[in-house]
Amino acid sequence: MTDTALVSDAPPPAARPLVRLRQLDLFGAVVTLATLAGAVVWAFPLYWGLVTTFKPETEIVQPGVHLWPQNFTFENYAHVLMQTKIGLWYVNSLVTSGAVTVIVVVMAAAAGYAISQLEFPGRRVFWAMILASFMVPIPALIVNHFVLMSQFGWINTLQGVVAPQLIAPVTVIIYKQFFDSVPKDFREAAVMDGANDFQLLFRIYLPMNWGITTALAIITFIGAWNLFLWPFLAVSSEEKLNVAVGITQVHDAFGVQYGRDLAVAMLAALPVAIVYLIFQRRVTQAIMLSAGIKG
Amino acid sequence: MSAIPGNKGGAAAPHVELRRVTKRYGVVTAINDLTLTVEKGSFTALLGPSGCGKSTLLRMIAGLERISAGQCFLDGVDVTDVAPAKRRIAMVFQSYALYPHMTTRQNIAFSLSLAGASRKEQDERTHEVARILQLEDYLDRRPAELSGGQRQRVAIGRALVRHPEVFLFDEPLSNLDAKLRVQMRLELAKLHATLHATMIYVTHDQTEAMTLADKIVVLDRGRVAQVGSPLELYNRPANKFVAAFIGSPSMNFLPVGLTAVEGGIATVALPGGRTARVRVGGAPAKAVATAELGVRPEHLSLVVADDANAALRGEVAIVEHLGNLTLLYVDTPAGQVIVEGPGNVSVRSGDTVGLSLREANARLFGADGASL
Ligand SMILES: Nc1ncnc2c1ncn2[C@@H]1O[C@H](COP(=O)(O)OP(=O)(O)OP(=O)(O)O)[C@@H](O)[C@H]1O
Ligand SMILES: [Mg+2]
Repeated sequence: MTDTALVSDAPPPAARPLVRLRQLDLFGAVVTLATLAGAVVWAFPLYWGLVTTFKPETEIVQPGVHLWPQNFTFENYAHVLMQTKIGLWYVNSLVTSGAVTVIVVVMAAAAGYAISQLEFPGRRVFWAMILASFMVPIPALIVNHFVLMSQFGWINTLQGVVAPQLIAPVTVIIYKQFFDSVPKDFREAAVMDGANDFQLLFRIYLPMNWGITTALAIITFIGAWNLFLWPFLAVSSEEKLNVAVGITQVHDAFGVQYGRDLAVAMLAALPVAIVYLIFQRRVTQAIMLSAGIKG
Repeated sequence: MSAIPGNKGGAAAPHVELRRVTKRYGVVTAINDLTLTVEKGSFTALLGPSGCGKSTLLRMIAGLERISAGQCFLDGVDVTDVAPAKRRIAMVFQSYALYPHMTTRQNIAFSLSLAGASRKEQDERTHEVARILQLEDYLDRRPAELSGGQRQRVAIGRALVRHPEVFLFDEPLSNLDAKLRVQMRLELAKLHATLHATMIYVTHDQTEAMTLADKIVVLDRGRVAQVGSPLELYNRPANKFVAAFIGSPSMNFLPVGLTAVEGGIATVALPGGRTARVRVGGAPAKAVATAELGVRPEHLSLVVADDANAALRGEVAIVEHLGNLTLLYVDTPAGQVIVEGPGNVSVRSGDTVGLSLREANARLFGADGASL
């Protein structure tokens, strides 16, 4: 649309570019339709899940496809909110994911800064170890984590959920690369101004890379929020569950009740969806960053 | 090197002093056994071609670069191993290195804030500096929203706010366009006049060095080639390197034969048959048979080809009219020489001309490049 507007403003162009532009528009329309179709196919299950939560259970199990509930109800949500500990699970998820995010970001920034900027014996070995550690898939270590946490007496505690998630080599690597790319004049200017290493990190290097910090924080938070396997293993009492594991407990406790299961799923996904909507661009950036490292 | 050519024991107290400093990067020796004193309140320029070690020298004074050997003194105190921030030295970087996430105000006040100064003091001193540098209207802008000249001023402001005793500048004007450079040059001169602080200024632009500095240190491959006032360097270069580096267009060097030396006057045989009489310092050894005669373009003047006073004859190759003056490239038996003539010269390329030489301003250099 803007293309045509631009053309009409411009002095009368030669015939050929105009033709090419029209062809391009046709191509654009086809691509738009194709991606739109893809989006619909992708989004339909989500939509289906959402409307199902507003249907009474009897209507859900009836044969036939109804795109909108015949009897609109909040009963599923009411039940889930009243009869399960989902409020508590939310708090647990928030606390553990928040703690993981803060600790990982601060630790990774400090480690990245040290490897990138400081001269100390063993720096290369340290760096090699971090590079090596991200070649090891975390699930392969899950038994070790379990044994270690139980020796700490941290099984079935929130800190037990948090601790193994603090291993975040990719975050360190990303920070190191960003700090490497800060021109050394900034460092020297700040050193002349009297900054020590802590001030350099927290007042120059981190603020200069704020975008990266937000991106990494969001992606770490979402990862921690969605984590299932480890919290599922580490926690057994209902009071310590997080939302992701909590969903499965609803299923177990009430038999297969599609409306309720999906209502819990929607509630569990809500915070991540909100975070994503607010920070869309940052999240994409973060995913591309870590994909760049991993890929 | 025990004595520095041209360095007189001045009356002013030495403020910055480097004693036999050497800087090595692996096998590269950037600064080689260099001794230098900078007087209190002086404006000293470090001048030299790219890669001669100017920045390295400045960064050693700042404390940003470890000194491989030798010592650095500030006010008579050995600061060789003192941290940069403790030296009461401020530095303005070529890239300005303004913190991009801070406003002008925060950039200027950063060192005060690190030192734990009160809000009030930070504000007062920032405003004082902003007033001197005419930055008051830009205090709440980020560096990205400032022009090159304004950024330059913020960079100077960041140095100024610390009330340092020594200012170091590393090619501070090289990122500015020609007009702004002239303007900032004047402002720097004014700043030096008001502050009376010691300033050390790195540049490879001789105009900057000549106009700003009261003392110029010419560096050549990590060594001091000559130290002196701008006019000393121009009129009495200690060696061929300085003679060739200072002055634009560059000095002409003519191969000559030394025929006689008597009473401080040397008689030299010029290519083409004529002779010239040139003042020399000491009595050069008789063994020095050949030397090079250095003549600046403005000390050669055009005469008719068969003039009896013409030291050289030649054919004009290129004529460049610059308006106020004319540059002529003349092919002579001594090679191509550059002659500076008045603006209204009517000579064309291909003409044969005579060149007369102002002997009082010519310099003689021995085979090793040292001035005779
Ligand atoms: N970190 C370094 N490692 C190795 N060699 C270096 C380093 N820094 C400078 N050098 C070398 O030291 C010499 C002097 O460098 P320096 O930066 O002081 O030159 P300069 O006179 O400031 O040049 P320019 O006018 O181009 O800035 C150069 O030969 C350079 O290659
Ligand atoms: Mg330099």
